[in-house]
Amino acid sequence: MATTAQITITSPDLMPGSALNITANTTLTKAGVTADLDQKESAVIKLVSGTEYRLGPLATEMAGDAHDIASYLYVHNKTTEDATYYVDWGIHETMIGRLYAGDWMFIPWNASDDGAEIEIEPQGGTNIIEYCLFNSDVILPTAAS
Amino acid sequence: MATLIPTLTLSCADGTTDLINFSVVDSLNVTQDIVAPSKVKLTTSDLEIGPTTYGKSYVYLKNTDDTIAINIEITDGNSTMQLAAGEFAFFPWTGASGIVAFSASGTPYLEYAIFEA
Repeated sequence: MATTAQITITSPDLMPGSALNITANTTLTKAGVTADLDQKESAVIKLVSGTEYRLGPLATEMAGDAHDIASYLYVHNKTTEDATYYVDWGIHETMIGRLYAGDWMFIPWNASDDGAEIEIEPQGGTNIIEYCLFNSDVILPTAAS
Repeated sequence: MATLIPTLTLSCADGTTDLINFSVVDSLNVTQDIVAPSKVKLTTSDLEIGPTTYGKSYVYLKNTDDTIAINIEITDGNSTMQLAAGEFAFFPWTGASGIVAFSASGTPYLEYAIFEA
């Protein structure tokens, strides 16, 4: 599953006389190697304000060392409401940033332990969130019968 | 006030039968301080690249090394993300906790920029 990501960041007026133009590319690979990732989870979800939602499984929900892998997370707040609608994102209990309407983020992530889970929490009303988690070798335990 | 236009393109032709190929574009207002695209040599010791003097901001990080990983901490002492060789990240940041970078080994270079809203 050869997945590539490219980011461009431009601004015509951020620095007078020097238009900003950043471009970076990467191919999403397994940890420490050049093999492609082979699994993904993606969804579009509606969450009401104040709902904590975990993206991806907890480390202890994965079998063996399957959690110690490279993952990449894309999150997009597709809400079109005003600035009172936003989605907090954080790791474990620490809020790191806010995705306002139309904002997105893309980060590498390693579910090293249960204290490294990524959570989102909408505020202001029902937010529509699109996310995609790219990873590999995630082996969930056998379901109880 | 300046306008920052980040665009992310994700593509994959062989992941599932539903091919991935999309771009998302945003338009962000930058009204306060910025760290213009910068490049710094890291060691295994902590280096604060994003102090808490910043308010709500957008952060761009890229590991420019070919082999060595770079660790990023946003909450002190807790590894937030690891940028493998060539990887990048872009995310919103409140500025409530400083951003610290250090290498997994050796002296890789980190490219970074911070845009305060």
